[in-house]
Amino acid sequence: MADEQETEAEAEEFHPRGTVAILVMFVLAIIILWGSVYVILLSRGVTV
Amino acid sequence: MATREEGRGMLATYDVTKTDKRFIGAHILVAVIALSIGSLFGPLQAFQFSGVDLYPYLQPVFKSYYQGLTIHGVLNALVWTTFFITGFFTLTTILGFKRGLRYPKLNRVGFWTMVAGLVMAAIPILLDEATVLYTFYPPLQANWAFYTGLTLVVVGSWIEGYGFFFTYRAWRKENPDTRTPFIAFGGLVTMAMWQFATLGIAVEILTMLLPWSLGLIEGTDPQLARTYFWFTGHPLVYFWLLPAYVSWYGMLPKQAGGKLFSDSLARLAMWLFLLLSVPLGFHHQFVDPGIPAGWKYIHAVLTYSVFLPSMLTAFTVIASLERAARKRGGRGLFGWVRALPWSNGSVAAQLLAGILFMFGGIGGLTNASYNVNLVIHNTTWVPGHFHLTVASAATLSFMGISYWLVPWITGKPLWKPRLAVIQTWTWFIGMLIFSNAMHVLGLLGAPRRTPLGVAPYVSEEWSGHLLRVGLGGAILFVSAVMFVWIVARTTWGKERLGANEEIEVPIAESEQDPQLTPLWLDRWVPWIVGTVLLILVAYGPQLIDQIANIDLGSGQAPSIRPW
Repeated sequence: MADEQETEAEAEEFHPRGTVAILVMFVLAIIILWGSVYVILLSRGVTV
Repeated sequence: MATREEGRGMLATYDVTKTDKRFIGAHILVAVIALSIGSLFGPLQAFQFSGVDLYPYLQPVFKSYYQGLTIHGVLNALVWTTFFITGFFTLTTILGFKRGLRYPKLNRVGFWTMVAGLVMAAIPILLDEATVLYTFYPPLQANWAFYTGLTLVVVGSWIEGYGFFFTYRAWRKENPDTRTPFIAFGGLVTMAMWQFATLGIAVEILTMLLPWSLGLIEGTDPQLARTYFWFTGHPLVYFWLLPAYVSWYGMLPKQAGGKLFSDSLARLAMWLFLLLSVPLGFHHQFVDPGIPAGWKYIHAVLTYSVFLPSMLTAFTVIASLERAARKRGGRGLFGWVRALPWSNGSVAAQLLAGILFMFGGIGGLTNASYNVNLVIHNTTWVPGHFHLTVASAATLSFMGISYWLVPWITGKPLWKPRLAVIQTWTWFIGMLIFSNAMHVLGLLGAPRRTPLGVAPYVSEEWSGHLLRVGLGGAILFVSAVMFVWIVARTTWGKERLGANEEIEVPIAESEQDPQLTPLWLDRWVPWIVGTVLLILVAYGPQLIDQIANIDLGSGQAPSIRPW
């Protein structure tokens, strides 16, 4: 019972900061890598 | 094995029978055999890229690079996945609903229909009468048995899906107010999506390819055929991915020592995948001249919309894992990742599959972009990308699932668990090398579906990356052999579990009682209606136009058999 209460308390306190940090890095990686392909597109004269 | 759940004052039990296990095991057996044979040909493609062409040594049994590529694609992308998925969903249906299949004979009919179709399609492939690759675009023409066989595989999977739906209906009558158990729910949504998705390929084969290959019509319409194909071809990706998601949402958290972070978010993501998986196939046809730019743009936007359920999935799964890792003592913004049970091969496989898939997601957004797609269209970037989906997110996850599923089916402990961990890492490393090289080659302009090892136009700057393709392929091959060996030794080994030991199927609870999940996330009608309407809006006008202008005369596209 005590364990359950602790678990519930922990659950309420849990904020997935690590998850958010990973997803922010993921979005930045998307922007950078997508942007690099876009630059290649432009370097080929837009119409490829 | 008995499963128990105390919910709403009721005690639900179901003893999984040996027959149930044998039936699931039969799916996995066919799947692994297909993977074994298909994987023999993967490295042959990769070695060919790096200048080591082994195909001449396989004469006269296997005729060409393209025959090998067809075997590799059909067996690994279509057969391994479809059999594994239907077997896995048989398990999630039985254990999720805690009852046997409503009509087990119906599911057996579905399974044997798929087996018959597999044999029927395999014969012309092995006889070099269906060297049309797994995308089988006309005007490349295969023997009629190839198309009939693939149709039977799809119809068999439909029938197995009907078996799951009937089981759900029976469960729902007994449990009108209970939220559908998530692992069963995920399987049902996937199979419902599959019913819609495969309509395209069914119509293509039945109205065009089959009568054409039988000589009943003179020609075919490649543009319409490609539209039908990609009606199915893109959601096929989600047919591969959603079973992995079911495991990532509904099982992996339990394996990691935690719970599903949000039952509501998980269900919402699954519904959005049902809604959005089908009406976006034109992003595979951005350079097809017969489709107006406006429709391509609409499908590009719809493809981008899949980013929403994908990010919901990423957030919910990673949050579930973070919660589990912190309970295991994990600390820091990223340090908790180390606290996950990496020494468990099943967990490691799925974690690494998820990491590879993040790169797949980045590439997928590039594919979806109407303009940027022009840089990578029909280049090696594309197979580099889909090896991160079907061969990583799906296949590596299925390998991880196998590491508890096969022991559960056989009642035998996993053979050499540490080797299973090594196998997952070798797959990860091999895929990183292989896929990265394929992506870079694509950016440099290397065409896909081409034996680059003999191409006269290969530039010097490609050579290092071509070698990396060969290296990655070799590592992947070793890893595939290790996987098959571990599964075989587990299945046919003499060691058995102790009298008091049993393999637990990892079914994760939700942090929040699923009964608190909003009712609209457990009701089918609005989502099915929405899916049908969106498909009609996104595809209807173009299909009407293309069908109205169809030309099946020989002047349109006679059959071509270049091999």
